[in-house]
Formats: sequence, C-alpha cells, structure tokens
Amino acid sequence: MNGYAIVTEKMTKVYGGGSLRLGIPGVPPSARAERGVPRSPPPVEDDARGIVAVDHVDMRVRSGGVFGLLGPNGAGKTTIIKLLTGLSDLTAGTAQVAGFDVQKDPLEVKQRVGWVAAEVILDDDLSGWENLWLQAKLQRLADWKGRAEELLKYFELTDRKKDKVGHYSTGMRKKLEIALALLHEPELIFMDEPTIGLDPNTRQMLWQLITGVNREFGTSVLLTTHYIEEADRLCSEVAIIDHGRFVAQGSPAELKSRVQADFVELETAEEVTDERLRGIPGVSEVRTQGKVWMLKVASAEEVIPNILRALDAGKIHRINVEKPSLETVFLNITGKHIDQVGADIPDYRKFYASMMRARR
Amino acid sequence: MSADVPRGPPGQRRMPPRGVVGGQWSQFSGLTARELIKTFRNPWVILITFAQPFMWLAFFGSSFANVSVAYLDKLLDAPPGTGYLDFLLPGVLATSMMSVGMFGSMSTIQDKRFGFMKRILITPTTKATVYLSKVVGSATRGLVQIPVMIVAAWAFGVHFNGSVLMWAGWIAGLVLLGIGFSAFFLAITASSTDWQTPGVIANFITMPLMFASGALFPASNYPGWMQTIANWNPVGYSALLGRGVLVYANPDWLYLGYLGLFALLMIVIGTLVAARYLRTE
Ligand SMILES: Nc1ncnc2c1ncn2[C@@H]1O[C@H](COP(=O)(O)OP(=O)(O)O)[C@@H](O)[C@H]1O
Ligand SMILES: [Mg+2]
Repeated sequence: MNGYAIVTEKMTKVYGGGSLRLGIPGVPPSARAERGVPRSPPPVEDDARGIVAVDHVDMRVRSGGVFGLLGPNGAGKTTIIKLLTGLSDLTAGTAQVAGFDVQKDPLEVKQRVGWVAAEVILDDDLSGWENLWLQAKLQRLADWKGRAEELLKYFELTDRKKDKVGHYSTGMRKKLEIALALLHEPELIFMDEPTIGLDPNTRQMLWQLITGVNREFGTSVLLTTHYIEEADRLCSEVAIIDHGRFVAQGSPAELKSRVQADFVELETAEEVTDERLRGIPGVSEVRTQGKVWMLKVASAEEVIPNILRALDAGKIHRINVEKPSLETVFLNITGKHIDQVGADIPDYRKFYASMMRARR
Repeated sequence: MSADVPRGPPGQRRMPPRGVVGGQWSQFSGLTARELIKTFRNPWVILITFAQPFMWLAFFGSSFANVSVAYLDKLLDAPPGTGYLDFLLPGVLATSMMSVGMFGSMSTIQDKRFGFMKRILITPTTKATVYLSKVVGSATRGLVQIPVMIVAAWAFGVHFNGSVLMWAGWIAGLVLLGIGFSAFFLAITASSTDWQTPGVIANFITMPLMFASGALFPASNYPGWMQTIANWNPVGYSALLGRGVLVYANPDWLYLGYLGLFALLMIVIGTLVAARYLRTE
C-alpha cells in the first residue's frame, strides 16, 4: 500500500464530554497546543467538552521502519494505539492502517496488525503454548504450529512452553506477548511502552529484540515511550506528542539538528527576575518552572561562567546542562521535561473530574 | 538468537478463507474452549460442582423428614408414595441452572479488568462472538451439575420414572434454561466492570424466581400474584417438565417449547445488546 503502514487525517479522540461535544469535528485545534507556547494546566473548557486525548493528529508512518511516539504521561500515546487498532472509536477524522480504514473495515485491520500491551496481558491460567493456541484461534490461523515453535525458539521459550504463564518471569512474559503479536505475520506491530517497568538488563534485551523483529521479520513497528534514550536508539522516525498533539516529527538526528541550543537548568535561593537572567550574555530565552529556571543558550560551556558572574554564586543550589538530545527538542517546544516530576498533575485533575462526573 | 528466523513475506499472508457466520467460528470455538479449560482447571469449581447437589438434597430434601409421606403427597398434589425428594429434584436442577450465568459474567468482568478483553478484541473477533462464547461456556459449566445431581438423587433414594426419550427432553429443557439464563445474565452485565455486579444481580433475580416458580413447593398453594409470576417463569416450566417425567411419566411437551422460545429470545436480545454495549475495559 503505497509505502505507508499508517495514514491518519485529523484523527481526534475526546473522552466523555457533554453536549458541546457535538461541535468537535469542526473545532480548530486547541489554541493551547500551538507550537512553542508553554502550557498552563489544562483549561476549564477541557472539562466541559470532555478530555481531548488525541487532537487533530495527521500521521504518516512508512512501512518497514520503527516509528516512535515520544511523549510524557497522559500525552495520548495509548489512546492513539487504541484508535489505530480499532479498540476505541475515533471522535473525528480518519485513520488508515495496513491499507484499510479502521472505522469501515476494523476486522481487516485487526488481522494485519499485532499488539503488545504496556501492562503485559496474557492468560495466566494457560500455558505458553495454550496462549499461542488461543491467539491462533482468534486470528483464524489453520497452520500455526510450525511458526509458533519457531517463535518460541527465537524467543528462547521452548523449554518453558508447557508451564503456566503465571509462573514466567517478567522478561519471559514480555517475550511471549511479542511472540503472540507476531504469530499471524502482521504487517505492523504496535508496542505500547515496551520497556516500562523492566530492569536495565531486560530492557537491553528487549531493545535488541525489537530491532531484531523489525529487521529479521520485516515487520513495521510503532512503539510509544517516554524514555528519550529508547526513542533515540530504536526509532528510525520519532513523533513528539504532548497533550494529544504532534509537536514535532522526524528522524532523531533531524530533530536534534533543529535545536541549535543547549539548555541550562538553574536553581538558586537568590531573588532573580526574568529580565536579569535574560540580560546575561549568551542567554536567548528564559522560562520558569516554580523555583527552577530554564535558560536556552547557544553554548552552555561559554554561558555558565557568565551566569556565575552575574548571580550570587554562593546561593546557587544546582546547575544542570542539557546538550542537544530528544529531551532538548521536547524542552524547546514545550518548556518542560518529558519525565518531569509532577508532569502528570493535570492528569489527576482530569481523573478527579471524571470521578466526580461518574458519581453524579 | 538463532539464525533460522521465521520470515513473514510482506504482503503475502496465509489467511484462511472466510467461513460462515462472518468467519467467527474459529474465534468462538477457541474462546469457548478457553472458558471450559479455565473453569475445570480450578479445583474449587470441581469441588463446588460436586458438593452442591448433595447439600441441596441433604438439607432441603430433609426438611420434611418427620412429615408422613401420605400427608406430604396430598400437600404436593402428587401421586401416593412420591415423597418430597422426588418432587424436589426437578426443581433443584432448574434452580441451579438459574445462576450459571453468574460464572460467565464474572469471567467476563475478570477479562475486562485484567485487560484480556483488549487482547481478544484487537484480533478479528466481534463482541457478539465473545458474548456467545461466554454464554455457552457458562451454560456448559452449569450442565455438568446435571449428571452429578442425578447420581446424588439416586443415592438419596429418589424413584426414577419415565422413558429415555422423556429424560432426553427434560435434559434438553435444562440445557435451554441454562443457555437462556446465562444469555440474560451476560447481557445485563455487558457494560459492567465491577466485581460486585454479578453477585448482586444473582441475588436479585435468583431469590424471587426460585420461590415464585413451583420449583420447591407446588404453585397451587401460592397467592394470586405469585402464581402470575410462576406462570411466566421459565424456572417453573423446567420444574414442571421434569416433574412430568420423573413423577408422572407423562410430561407436557409444551413446556419444552416455552423453554426453547425463552433461550432463543434471550440469545437474540443478548447478542444485540453485547454487540453494542460490551465494554472493553
Ligand atoms: N478511558 C478513558 N476515559 C477518560 N479519559 C481517558 C481514558 N483513557 C485515557 N484518558 C485520558 O486521556 C489522556 C491520554 O491518555 P493516554 O492515551 O493513556 O496517555 P499516555 O498513554 O500517553 O500516557 C489522559 O489525560 C488520560 O487521563
Ligand atoms: Mg500509555
């Protein structure tokens, strides 16, 4: 199909929401998501018309590569996977996956894609082999045993195939889940936060496996992550997503080359102002996150001496330098870290809002 | 990692031809088998399946132990020498079919909670298929109680009447009753994700339908409003059909027809409801 595994146009998902929701297909992309604008907590309008989890996303994923959706918690990554696999209905827009429209031909899409959940989902009461058997039944495969054996061998699970999955280690469970996703030879496999909650060794192992699956099985991969390093290492193309919108897209190298700057993060007990920091030679932009100042600079090495001269060096608690990386790409666009502590506070607000709604 | 890696030729996929019923048979049979494997691998299920019939007959069946059979037969409107156990057995079997839907309902909620429903629905499997597999799975689980209970009844000295054909009809009626209730139960819990729901609903429907059915006591002694419920109660149809076989050796086959209608209606409505309202998580 013309080289694209996924093509979406204005794909939008709104959870909940009242009568205002009727207006959604026409609403312009929310203003808060404009490029480069630092975000305040979600506007109240968000509650009135529901939670806009995916906001007018135009997405093109080439066949054959590893495409990464990089974004903080609550950015809408899982929701995008649910929309693209037909688990959840689009509120507006269209999505084509593996050559079929997800809304018109969901079953066609579903027999061409595989899925690996963030939380490993297997039937713990069944053995590894029985899980594969059930997957074969669900995918209507007549002749699956040979392939299942091969996959078990590839993932080094052959001698445990008769054991109940409940007794597997986390790494083994993850591997079995990938084997299930590959059983029907999908064109495209979705992996939602594939290494979340794994120890560093297992993560390394999984990174190798994902690259292996992509190269050796010829399967396109779409993965989501909030680990910079993961996106950088695995993905041929990365889309950075924040508040349900794509804010940047390209190969990791391209994205990094776009930000011709370092970031200096500064914590000080001194009373300082925007103006004073902006007056330091070499500082081009200043943002605050509570007590933390974020300075965009041409070259951190040259600017740090200036900072120490301009401020009371004795009152500085901490200086941290971010060299060009996907992290600075994200910083540059959104003014915050991807993995920021407290970054999901708006999520709690939404969560409580939806709880209150549910109680009523 | 080994070198001989399975290769999926892009674009060229081994897909079996579409079968009947929109090609859902493979998924349906797989899911039903999963349901049964999981059920019968659980030792508690086995224990309860075998213990329950004996407890019913031992405790309930002994309630009138000190009442003379002649008086009892008059009260039950049964032929002389029948006794309460003979009268009770078809009723108890009918009653036990009523709660089978609870099993399927709980396993559905478990699948939603543990995310397995997503794993199923991300394959070319429809919600209707998931629903039907749960209905058949839980009805089958209920059906294994039938032979156990009949053996238990025999051990308690119940007199057996009727021909093989009559028995087959009676058991078919029980199957239909089990399917009907399980379809009903699963439909009303289709959108639920709460562990409590199946228990609450089971209590809510089981109690009135059990007592307003003629399953445990003859309906002729009921007040008018309870007789009205009993007249529309499929549990009662099954009890009367069974009693017709076991006590009188002269069943009224119309009851079997009613039960068939009940099962069909519940399946049709339930499938429509589930296709629309079955929640994924
Ligand atoms: N079923 C749901 N109902 C209501 N809101 C939801 C639901 N699922 C996700 N959300 C909200 O949608 C937003 C995006 O969530 P999600 O796609 O899970 O993000 P991510 O996977 O990037 O962490 C969040 O604000 C989340 O709270
Ligand atoms: Mg997620």
